[in-house]
Amino acid sequence: MMKPNTIPAALLLLMATTSAALAASGTVLRTDKIYSQPSATASVAGSAAKGASVTVLAKQGGWLRVTSGKTSGWMRLLSVRVGAGGLGGSGLGDVVGAATTKSDPSRVVAVAGLRGLNEEDLKKASFNAEELARLDKWTMTPAQGRSFAGQAGLVAVKLPLLVEPKPAQAPASPSTWEVN
Amino acid sequence: MKTRTIALLVSMLALGGTAHGFDLGKALEERLNQELNKSSQPAPKAEPATQPGTATSPAKQKIDVNQLGFALFGDYTPEQESRIGKQVSGDLLGAVPLVRDDKLQRYVNQVGNWVALQSGSKGLAWRFGVLDTEDINAFAAPGGYVFVTKGLYRRLNNEAELAGVLGHEIAHVTQRHHLKVLKQSSLIGALGQVAGSKAKSSDQAVQNLIGNGAEMMARGLDKQAEYEADRIGMVYAARAGYTPWGLPDVLQDLAGLPAKDERTSLLYKTHPHPADRLTALGESVGGQFDALQGKDLAKRFYRIP
Repeated sequence: MMKPNTIPAALLLLMATTSAALAASGTVLRTDKIYSQPSATASVAGSAAKGASVTVLAKQGGWLRVTSGKTSGWMRLLSVRVGAGGLGGSGLGDVVGAATTKSDPSRVVAVAGLRGLNEEDLKKASFNAEELARLDKWTMTPAQGRSFAGQAGLVAVKLPLLVEPKPAQAPASPSTWEVN
Repeated sequence: MKTRTIALLVSMLALGGTAHGFDLGKALEERLNQELNKSSQPAPKAEPATQPGTATSPAKQKIDVNQLGFALFGDYTPEQESRIGKQVSGDLLGAVPLVRDDKLQRYVNQVGNWVALQSGSKGLAWRFGVLDTEDINAFAAPGGYVFVTKGLYRRLNNEAELAGVLGHEIAHVTQRHHLKVLKQSSLIGALGQVAGSKAKSSDQAVQNLIGNGAEMMARGLDKQAEYEADRIGMVYAARAGYTPWGLPDVLQDLAGLPAKDERTSLLYKTHPHPADRLTALGESVGGQFDALQGKDLAKRFYRIP
């Protein structure tokens, strides 16, 4: 068994990268740059347009290593959807019928052999005081929460809240901002 | 004074049944009709404390216009929020019990409490629970109640992902999203009565007002509330020292599930598509988290046996 500190740094980096190795298709969710390294300060190798198909090779933090046509490099995790399915609810075709059928509340969820929750289950539910009381067993004080965080070396970071994107840049969802 | 005038207008519209094109009035009208229908049927459970009896006209409903103004435009006290949350959660737990795994439940409460501390919200008694269903979803209720299904928990890979999911639900609580929905649909039209009365049956009265709390979970929130909870949840998790990419990683995973998977049908009915959520987050985040060095704590993550 090798001691951790005897593993060369380069190898560690390689392990960190390859440990999240993927070989999946992906779709570009928003037009963005492709960098030569997983960093916005690295040189720009190219860019990929919204809707373009890419191959996702690896993941590292907030970055995905992709190949887009002849260009290889790193794109932001939030700019690419990993896996099949295209742009999703707002894009090419409706791959998830349920996601956009909010106007159809009568949509019946099939029952046979399925284990999902459905509206009927929830509508029929009646108050369960016993289960509710069980929750009280695990409540804790802020001090206990801090101690739990400290055990793993978690340190609170000061960070402002994210600003809502401008409507013009928001994903197309006509039902929420075009109609009004 | 102004709020009273508006409240009166709303109730008149609703009672008069001419609430076309006015959502609030229409919602109130619907709710009143619902109450009337309820009273004409043999109710399987809990009859309202304020017996509507055989009321045949909405005018006989005991909704005080002044109280209505408070309920529609005022804020709830922490106690009121907690009461509503208790009722909603009790109903939800009536549909799905908690997983019988003390270690799991304690762990989720530990992570949840630490993340909730980052919200800066005071006066909330946080309670976290893992629901015993393979359905893939998470829920929140006013006053600090947060639930994750076993189906979703099983898909998580590390503590940062759990923190991201809990952060999203905690944000629903701190932003009072469900209370806003309750107000909009005026289900709480007479909450003021409940708040004012010291009646023993006040919990029952809350129940009557919110209808079935579990059903409220089935209806969900609007898209903007979900996008906001994503933005805030991600920040809460990052503030707690976790990598901010936990929630996006979970969304990537959900986006990869088969479209017709029944375990996600309720999730997709009540949330925007994960791909849209990733896109919206991307617009907000940009490069702001580039310098963050958070932990994912895959080792400490509790795995369900």
